[in-house]
Amino acid sequence: MRKGVQSFSWKGIAVFSALVISFPFLFSSSFYLTKATFAGIYTIVAVGLGLLMGFAGQISLGQAAFYGIGAYSTAILSTTFGLNPWLTLVISLAAPALLAYLLGHTMARLHGYYLAMATLAFGIVIHVLLTEWKSVTKGASGFFGIPKIELFGFTFRQGISYYYLVWAFALIVIILSLNIIHSRIGRALRSIHDSEVASGAMGVDTGKYKMQVFIISSMFAGLAGWLFAHMSYSISPGSFGLNGSILFLTMVVLGGGTSIWGAVCGALLISAISIIVHTAGSHVSFITSDFEQVLYGFIMMLIVIFLPQGLVPAIASKLKKQKQKSARANKVPAIGTVKGDQNV
Amino acid sequence: MNDSIQFLISGLTIGSIYAIVALGFVTIYSVTKVINLAQGEFVMLGGMTMFSLIKLGIPYFIAFLLTVVIVMAIGWLVEWAVIRKAKGADPLSLIILTIGTAIFIRGIAGMVWGKNSVKVEPFTNDVPINILGASITPQSVWVMVFMLLVVLVLYFLIEKTMLGKAFRACSVNPTAARLMAISPKKMSSLSFALSAGLGAIAGLVIAPIMFPSYDMGIMLGIKGFSASILGGLGSAPGAVIGGLLLGVIESLGAGYISSGIKDAISFGVVLMILLIRPFGLLGEKNVGKGGL
Repeated sequence: MRKGVQSFSWKGIAVFSALVISFPFLFSSSFYLTKATFAGIYTIVAVGLGLLMGFAGQISLGQAAFYGIGAYSTAILSTTFGLNPWLTLVISLAAPALLAYLLGHTMARLHGYYLAMATLAFGIVIHVLLTEWKSVTKGASGFFGIPKIELFGFTFRQGISYYYLVWAFALIVIILSLNIIHSRIGRALRSIHDSEVASGAMGVDTGKYKMQVFIISSMFAGLAGWLFAHMSYSISPGSFGLNGSILFLTMVVLGGGTSIWGAVCGALLISAISIIVHTAGSHVSFITSDFEQVLYGFIMMLIVIFLPQGLVPAIASKLKKQKQKSARANKVPAIGTVKGDQNV
Repeated sequence: MNDSIQFLISGLTIGSIYAIVALGFVTIYSVTKVINLAQGEFVMLGGMTMFSLIKLGIPYFIAFLLTVVIVMAIGWLVEWAVIRKAKGADPLSLIILTIGTAIFIRGIAGMVWGKNSVKVEPFTNDVPINILGASITPQSVWVMVFMLLVVLVLYFLIEKTMLGKAFRACSVNPTAARLMAISPKKMSSLSFALSAGLGAIAGLVIAPIMFPSYDMGIMLGIKGFSASILGGLGSAPGAVIGGLLLGVIESLGAGYISSGIKDAISFGVVLMILLIRPFGLLGEKNVGKGGL
């Protein structure tokens, strides 16, 4: 256990990368590829939100706003002003980070329900601005004509090349996040999550770490926005509203915020559910997009009631218990230990 | 001048609705320390149930009462089936739980009633009344009258009856309340039923003005939540003041600046107030920890 806190194994990353790389060979239809590309984009946002919720114990009901800022920054700069998308990537990361920094000062003083309200209000304000600032964002009808990303003369188009581009970024984000949580920052964050007062008393600058994680999560969302904007020819504010924020929240809750892999699994599972609902919807008439919403609501209720930590941490702890049990059964068959074990 | 009176009155009308919804939040919060983000869905259910009942040919007044009873039953059911099962969860999980409940109810409503907005007849005739050069629809007057009635009845219920004493006892100390033979579980159920009833009333009185649809609840719920946060969580007078304030800000913003960005203005103000007073207008500092 101690070892796990200090460093992370590359085994998980290697297995996961292999799965990611082999996916297009197994499912080559463009429908699955598009969904899988979106899953990669959502993974980036969910990992950031998971850091914020599971490690810093903060909630954000406005994560889609950072996602939207990232997308619109690059859309406006690269289309209206003709800048290179790689240059606007910097802005797509910096703009959400700056906003998060400014907002973080407010958030640092808020807790629980008040924090939820502030992030909710922020998300709505941004969504309204994206819709109403028509001279810049082109309003509710959407922003058209976003250029594609190019690298050394190669153009990334929607499909297999974009799939690999998105997942390359997603893997970088996952590795980065795993590094963060296994570093001093990660330990400080976990202590804040368990008890803010106690970690403050131990000399952890709780405000600083919470702010850092808030900024990191906003930058991840901004990166996802950048990828999303250049994947599609057009973007509209509808993707960045409250429903988006709730979708990201559902992913983290489902997978479990206290583990990076939890957030990843959450994003993948929700994407899979969306595919299943979509496929089932073409056969059964009552399964519509409303049904998807009902399902998300139902999942959130079930998870909070039965598995408050989320799927991945729950399964991990169960596996660990089983392992310990079998190890104990093998090692100590002596009398009297049974009684002792019950107390453990 | 006429304009500003007109804006003020429409602001007070919608603000009254926010105030009733916010009182629903406060009712549940003060008894159970849960913020029920599904509160807005009760408002939606109020409007939509009324529409369906009237369509079935049930007389207006009976449909009104029946709607309140049905929505109260749903509120009780939500507490029994969902909230009670997650007893002792932290605020973060409770927020997620009630958001889940909200989108669940909204999705079901979308499947039952479809996506179109519906029309509900006003309580009395439609002819606007002229006051100081501003025209008010009778339904706006009804909205404000109902808000005042709700405040009076709630005040009487909480301050003057045994039930209210039991509510307050559970709020202050659930364990001591249990020793005094008050069941916090029962009070929790009752508070959900009561606040669902409040939501239903809000939905009923606003229905003729707003044309209810399956997705009206989410925004009304958020506005009611921000009204109760604005006033200071757990404070009933704060909820009413917060609601009216939010309504007026929104209406003035819509009137003088742009109706498209009215939500940005009202939530911008909420953000500013939280920045200056992180515990709301009337909230006490220790309450400002967000229920922790």
